[in-house]
Amino acid sequence: MRPDYAQLLETNHLLQTNGDQTYWLCVTRTVQESKLFPVPAYMLLSYLNAFYRYPGVLKKIETHMSAEELGDRARTMGSKAHATSMWGLPCFYLLGREWQINMGLIRPEDAAEDLIYIVDFWKRFQLSWRRNSGHITASDGGHRTQILPERQIQVFHADMYDCESGEPLHEAAQAFAASAAQYAFLVACESRISMHQHGPYHLGENREMLVRDFVDLAECDLPWLDGVAENVPYTNLTMPMATEGVHFNIIDDWGSFAAEPEFKGEHITGVGLYTSDPLSDGYEPVGMGSKEELTRTFQDLDERLKDAMARLWKRVAGWTRDQMLDAGAITYYAIIKDLAHIAGCYDPDDWIKIDRRAERFRPLLNDEYSRDMLGDICVGSSPSHQMYEYLMMRHSNLPQRIYSPLPYSMLVDDDYAPTVGDVQPGVTYLDEKLDRYRTTKGTFGIEEYNRRVRESQPKTHEDRFRFLCEPSIKYRYDGATADELYKLHQQNSRNLRGRGAGLRRADIEALRG
Amino acid sequence: MSKIISDVDKFESESPSSVVTAINTAVQTVVRQRFEASGQNWKDFVFGESLETITEEDFRAVEQMLIDAGHRYDWSAAISPQERPDAYKPAVGTSEDDLDTFCFEDPDAPVGEPDGDGLELRGVGDNVVSYSEDTVGIARYVRSTNRVLKWLSEGVPENTIAVIDDSGGTLTAPILERFKGVICAGGTVRSHLGILTREYGIPCLMNSKVNGIMEGDSVRMESTARAKNTEDYQSGREVTANIWRVHTS
Repeated sequence: MRPDYAQLLETNHLLQTNGDQTYWLCVTRTVQESKLFPVPAYMLLSYLNAFYRYPGVLKKIETHMSAEELGDRARTMGSKAHATSMWGLPCFYLLGREWQINMGLIRPEDAAEDLIYIVDFWKRFQLSWRRNSGHITASDGGHRTQILPERQIQVFHADMYDCESGEPLHEAAQAFAASAAQYAFLVACESRISMHQHGPYHLGENREMLVRDFVDLAECDLPWLDGVAENVPYTNLTMPMATEGVHFNIIDDWGSFAAEPEFKGEHITGVGLYTSDPLSDGYEPVGMGSKEELTRTFQDLDERLKDAMARLWKRVAGWTRDQMLDAGAITYYAIIKDLAHIAGCYDPDDWIKIDRRAERFRPLLNDEYSRDMLGDICVGSSPSHQMYEYLMMRHSNLPQRIYSPLPYSMLVDDDYAPTVGDVQPGVTYLDEKLDRYRTTKGTFGIEEYNRRVRESQPKTHEDRFRFLCEPSIKYRYDGATADELYKLHQQNSRNLRGRGAGLRRADIEALRG
Repeated sequence: MSKIISDVDKFESESPSSVVTAINTAVQTVVRQRFEASGQNWKDFVFGESLETITEEDFRAVEQMLIDAGHRYDWSAAISPQERPDAYKPAVGTSEDDLDTFCFEDPDAPVGEPDGDGLELRGVGDNVVSYSEDTVGIARYVRSTNRVLKWLSEGVPENTIAVIDDSGGTLTAPILERFKGVICAGGTVRSHLGILTREYGIPCLMNSKVNGIMEGDSVRMESTARAKNTEDYQSGREVTANIWRVHTS
């Protein structure tokens, strides 16, 4: 379908939103590096894979579930469909596009219809996933990601256990968080995309809650976890964390945080632990029966993650460079793979292979070229970024645009190639993925996992509940439907089961004793 | 000759990287040639014939072109020069033998003579978290998987302050918890290594400019200095912690 002017205007607006954000994230973080993984090289390979495959895989997903519904579902679980994934969705595609423009391989108007679709999908998902704050990005919301509805925040708030420095629970939770973060970096080949933070949520005077997600921990989609993660019992873990005396002033679009004053372990005053996935219909408590049980659970998970980390590190240290490139590129490219799980249409061939059109570029990807090219396309140093000298880009004041806009002249001359076409066969240097996926309902082969997802309609997502948003609840909290919805979220809660929709934050605090 | 997108640019510029410019220019030449040979319109060529006629071999030849011209690529991952030693600069400072003579030599590192307390300034870094005490230990370089593997099986030597030029969190993943402190020559306080040392409560200075610290030196990190934050980076404000070599009488 030929794009019209309004579509191009909106697409270019969304490109600019993402471009400004990409620049800010990159200059406040520096380019990633590692002596273990060829990080910039795999990132570039992933961007090409995204350019050639995202249009096809996203259209396939939307034949099962719309972007808006995916956003609704993703809001109620701690999975790899989070803020970082949703930065990667348009930006990996756009970075692959920008790199190819600079090599003279494509023009900004080529694949225009793919581009319009990609950013439109992204917009619809983001507006849905972030509907409780009404923003499209964390940046748009002043670097906040407050996605949860009141009813879920109340459960986390009510059930978390208080702890303070020196207590066994405090120490166990901190040790777990450190191990989980480190394991997550290794699982994700040095990237941060296996962990994510959202919030902050206000718990009352001088107290805030940060919700921390650690994902892809067990044997799941990533072939390199087969065997080494056999003793990790949960693919996704979510740790709500209450703090006192610290304000999380930045929760960025990469899911990481900054705090004022600087965050230290001693600020943690309460913790909880949950798991979730497309089969769980919300968050299931893990080890939350008592403070002692939660302490033991953190300690047990800490040991299991350390064991898996040592085994995985040895596996990675024995890889060839091509295997490292593949693992990293797949980790990055597949940053949005959980959308396919939520829709019940996950196919490993879509997600853990390098499309043959992207594979062609592998010989270019030495460390130096990759490092410099990545730096160029992320911070505006490429020829394609340079614009008229009067322009002042947000954050830098330089005459640049990070992502080349679609030229409106294409509406007149019709001189553009609309699409890269369907997903094409891919290759991998890694071992074949075993057909084993750990979920909250057991370990399944992928066909069984997909079937179960497609057949299970989470109760909280039935239409009568799905659209009971926060403004609806404000005026309808005393109705039977609102009460039923809150009770569904409270069904696994130690302190709130059956309490319904009428409680406010002070009531929750009082209930905690 | 047919023109491609990069041939006409009112605001023409070059990448600050000569390697990027050389490789992209060579790729553009290949694209121009294949497009010319196709005899097609660009919009038909770009996702049609170009996908078959611009090949992996073309990209291999472009990359080899710089090596043939005498260039040796910088390396970042240890595996890269290990697999292609002829394509990369030598991997100095990664073997146990090298470490007898190797040290970071950042020309921007502030250095000084030993003061009355035997503290000799050898550099500065960005403090990740401010602690109540400075950190004193033995400097040991960690730049290879071999050293990590060795310490994974034999244990990390007591009081190790790891001196690293990798701001990532994976090279040292299985042993990071056992370091007394970390001096990292790259990254920022928000890099992965900064995040992990914060989680573990390990004093850490990122983006460190150090000069002359040798394997086995006794060093002191000013972990009590103010931590550098995002606003400091954004505004370009210098907020640093000192790194001293410790002389004992």
